[in-house]
Amino acid sequence: MTLLGLPYNTLVVAVGVAAVGFAAGVVGSLCVLRKRSLVGDAAAHATLVGVAGAFLATGRRDLATLLVGALSAAIAGLAALLLVRRFTRTRDDAATAIVIGVSFGLGITLVSGLPAWGYANSAGLEQFLLGHTAALTAADAMLLTGVACFATVVVTLLFKETTLVAFDAAFAAATGWPVLLIDAVIVGLVAVMVVAGLPAVGAVLVTALVVIPPVAARAWTDRMSTMLLLAGTMGLVAAVVGVLVSAAWPRLATGPLVVLAAAAIFGISFIAAPKRGWIARRLRDAARNA
Amino acid sequence: MLIDSPQIGRLFRLARRAIACLVAALPTMGCSGPSGDAPAARPFEAAAGPRVLATTTVVADLVRQVGGDRVTVSCLMAAGIDPHSYKPTPRDADRLSAADLVVASGLHLEGRLAAILERLGRTKPFVAVADQLPADRLIAVGGGLHDPHVWFDPQLWMLCAPVVAEALAKVDPAAADDYRSRAREYAGRLAALDERLRGEIESIPADHRVLVTAHDAFRYFGRAYAVEVVGVQGTSTESEAGLGDINRLVDLVVTRGIPAVFVETSVSDRNVAALQEGARARGHEVALGGRLYSDSLGGPGSGAETLEATLAANVAAIVAGLKGEAPR
Repeated sequence: MTLLGLPYNTLVVAVGVAAVGFAAGVVGSLCVLRKRSLVGDAAAHATLVGVAGAFLATGRRDLATLLVGALSAAIAGLAALLLVRRFTRTRDDAATAIVIGVSFGLGITLVSGLPAWGYANSAGLEQFLLGHTAALTAADAMLLTGVACFATVVVTLLFKETTLVAFDAAFAAATGWPVLLIDAVIVGLVAVMVVAGLPAVGAVLVTALVVIPPVAARAWTDRMSTMLLLAGTMGLVAAVVGVLVSAAWPRLATGPLVVLAAAAIFGISFIAAPKRGWIARRLRDAARNA
Repeated sequence: MLIDSPQIGRLFRLARRAIACLVAALPTMGCSGPSGDAPAARPFEAAAGPRVLATTTVVADLVRQVGGDRVTVSCLMAAGIDPHSYKPTPRDADRLSAADLVVASGLHLEGRLAAILERLGRTKPFVAVADQLPADRLIAVGGGLHDPHVWFDPQLWMLCAPVVAEALAKVDPAAADDYRSRAREYAGRLAALDERLRGEIESIPADHRVLVTAHDAFRYFGRAYAVEVVGVQGTSTESEAGLGDINRLVDLVVTRGIPAVFVETSVSDRNVAALQEGARARGHEVALGGRLYSDSLGGPGSGAETLEATLAANVAAIVAGLKGEAPR
C-alpha cells in the first residue's frame, strides 16, 4: 500500500504526527493567549513520572498503558501547579518552574532506579524523553489522530468560553463565567495534547509544538478563529515537512526535525508577516521618516 | 591538623575496611553465576582470594571463568542494563574503591562510567580487557573509536582471558599459575564453541544470512561468522532512529525476503515493530526471531548466565529465525 509514492512507514508517521501537530497548535493557541505557555512544559516533564509509575504498577510497557500513566501524571502535575499557585502565593513562573524541576527529578529517579530495583526489562523507558517518531505504527497513528480530533472538537464546541477566558479572564469572571472550570478545560486539553505528542516527538520537544505555531500564527492575525486555524495548519505543515525531510536522508531523527520545521515557520512569520513582521515594521519606519 | 594525626588516619582506614566488608558481603544482584556464587553467605574473612568488581555481566563472567572459586566477583550493572546509558551512582564509587581489582570491558562501552574508571585506574589495580586487544582486529567506527562489542567473536574474546589472568596474578601472586592455566583452558573452550557455532550458522541458506536487530551490537559476530548485520539504531543505544533508516530496512527485508528480524534484551523494540508493519504492508511477513542477548548476559535462571550459554542461545535463535522456523 503506497499513497503519493510514499513508503508505508513514512505515510503512517506523517499522518500521526500531522494530527498531533494540528491539534497542538489549536490547543496551544488558547494557552499562549492565556499567557501560560509553560503549562505544556510542566505537563511534559510530569509525564516521565507517569511513564515510570505505570511500568512499576503494571509491569507492562505497551504504548496505551504508558500513555494512561503519563496522562494521569500530567494532570496531577498541573493540579499541583494550580495548588502551589493558589496556596503559597508563589508567582506563576516560579510555580511552573517548581513543578517542572520536581517532576523531572522524580521521573529520572524512578527511571534510573528501575533496573537497580530488579526491573531488568525497563530499558528504553527513557526514550520517552526523545520520542520514537520514526517507529510509530498504524495503531499508534490512529490513536494519535483520535486524540487530536477529540481535542479539536472540544475547542470548537467551547470556542466562545475558551476565547473569552484566554483573552480577558478578569472580564469573564466579572460577568459570571466559571473561569476556573474553563481554565481547567484548557489546561486539561494541553495535558492531553502533550501526552499525545510524547510518542510523536518526545517529552522535551512536545512543548515546542504547543507554543511555537501559536506564537507564529499570532504574528499574522488578530482574529481568534483565524489564529487557531492558522496555528493548527502551521503545526501540521511543520509535522509533514519534518517527517519528509527525515525520510529523505539516513540518520536524521524525525522528532527534532519537526520542531526545527516549526521554528523555520516561526522565523518566516516574524520576518514576513504583514503589520507585525520585521519587513513591515521597517517599511513603516521608513515611511514615517520620509 | 586533626586530620593529620595518626589515630584519626587509622580510624579512617578502619572505617573504610568496614565499609569494604559490608559491600563485599552484600548480595550482588544478577551476578550470581554458576561458579563463585553466594558471596553473601560467606563471611569476608573466609574469602582468601581477591575481591574483583566487574562492570558488566559479560566481564564478570570472564573473571569468574579465569578466577575460579578463589575469586569473589561482583558486578556493577545487573543483567538487562544498557551499559551505554548507565548512570553511575555514588554507591558505585564506593563499591569501586572497595574492590581489590576492577575489571572493565573498555572501548568506551561503559559510557559515562569511563571517566570514573579512568581516574580510579591511577590509584588501584584496574584493567579494561578490550582495550588490550590488538587494534588491527577491532572494528573502527570513526573518530578514532572502536566498536566495543568484542565478546561476540569468541576468537577475539579468548585473547582477553590471559589479560584477566595477568591482572589477577598481580593482585594475588600466590595463585598466578592457577589463573594462567584456567585462562588457557577457557580460551580452549571458547575455540571449541566457535567451531560449533560456525557449523550451525552454515546451515542457514547463504542469501538469508542477514541479521536485522534494533542496534548494531553484532558487528563482530557478523564478521566472525560471515553474517551481514544491519542495525536500526547506531552502535550506541543513545540515538533515535530516523524515518529514512526504517524505510531503508523495510526495503532490504522485503527485497531479500528475510524471514525474521530480532530484538535485543536490553534495547527497546519499538523500531522493530514499525519495521515489521512496513514489510507487512508490502506483502512480506517478517517473523520476530527470539530475543538476542546483546550488552548483557541472561539474568539468574535464564539459562544464559555465562557467555558460552549466551552465545549458544543467540545462535540458536538466529538459526531458527533465519531458516523460517521461528515460533510465531
